[in-house]
Amino acid sequence: MDYKYIEQLIERYFQCETTLQEEQILRAFFAQDEQELPQQLRQYAPLFAAMQPEAALDENFDERILSLIEEPKVVKARTISMRERLQPLFRAAAIVAIVLTLGNAMNITLKQEQAQDDINYAAYKDTYDDPAVAYDHVEDALQLISEGFSQVQRADSMRHDSLYSKVQ
Amino acid sequence: MKKIDFRTDILPLKNELYRLALRITLNPAEAEDVVQDTMLKIWNRREQWDEIESIEAFSLTICRNLALDKTKKAEAQVGQLDESHDPPDHSYASNPEEQAMQRDRVDLVRRLIGQLPEKQRSCMQLRDIEGKSYKEIATVIGITEQQVKINIFRARQTIRQKYIETEKYGL
Repeated sequence: MDYKYIEQLIERYFQCETTLQEEQILRAFFAQDEQELPQQLRQYAPLFAAMQPEAALDENFDERILSLIEEPKVVKARTISMRERLQPLFRAAAIVAIVLTLGNAMNITLKQEQAQDDINYAAYKDTYDDPAVAYDHVEDALQLISEGFSQVQRADSMRHDSLYSKVQ
Repeated sequence: MKKIDFRTDILPLKNELYRLALRITLNPAEAEDVVQDTMLKIWNRREQWDEIESIEAFSLTICRNLALDKTKKAEAQVGQLDESHDPPDHSYASNPEEQAMQRDRVDLVRRLIGQLPEKQRSCMQLRDIEGKSYKEIATVIGITEQQVKINIFRARQTIRQKYIETEKYGL
């Protein structure tokens, strides 16, 4: 085997003229069994053997780092606006308002029902024995209502008339 | 533009970052701390990921700066890259004695790299071990490509010289 090329590479290596690929070739060359190297090159073997990357971190390192970087993520502070902070209160207030409204509505309906129940026609008693007297009373009462109506109507119609005449 | 994901794009850089941090701090525990801090720093800048040209270079820069901060703080204690853990054996030599000797030599080279000035060390780490281009290294370290080349040149020369001397005359 011709070692001229390797010797040349070594010389250029120490002059810093080798490329990364050539340096890789040198490292690979010297990674072989020292016994098989020619005498004149054997002395360089430890130089290149020392360049093999070997120190490494243990497996637990990854987990430790990941646990370190993921922790702050969880505790990360969240900015809460005043609105967000008061939201539960708003909700409670809304619920109270709804309950009150419903309660009121129920109350009113119940009262109305009670009021309707108050008119009990069966409980009415006859006031007059003689139909003629009753008729007179009813006539008087209707007369009263009629007078009342006509007064209101007149007042209304007067205003209406005056307005009407004005427009005309 | 490609969306950057922490798990798939940044986390896998951990070993590369670790090796650079280790090269600078020369202390495995500190290097690990540096990588952890680097990851957290990158995570905290996640809003800017889209504006970053190369997330790898960005990560390496942060890692180097943090490692430098750490070494400055611990300047007093002169450390050496602790090789207590056995490096994986790349040779298949059958003779255990040969194996041990070869390992010793590799360790020696590593120690020699550890004695280089930090800039040369970092440049060499990125070039010879991580296989980065001069341009990428220049971006990471914040110097010109020419300066990167000079640093690597000096580093390689020093290592070769010191290695040969030590092999000849012993430590």
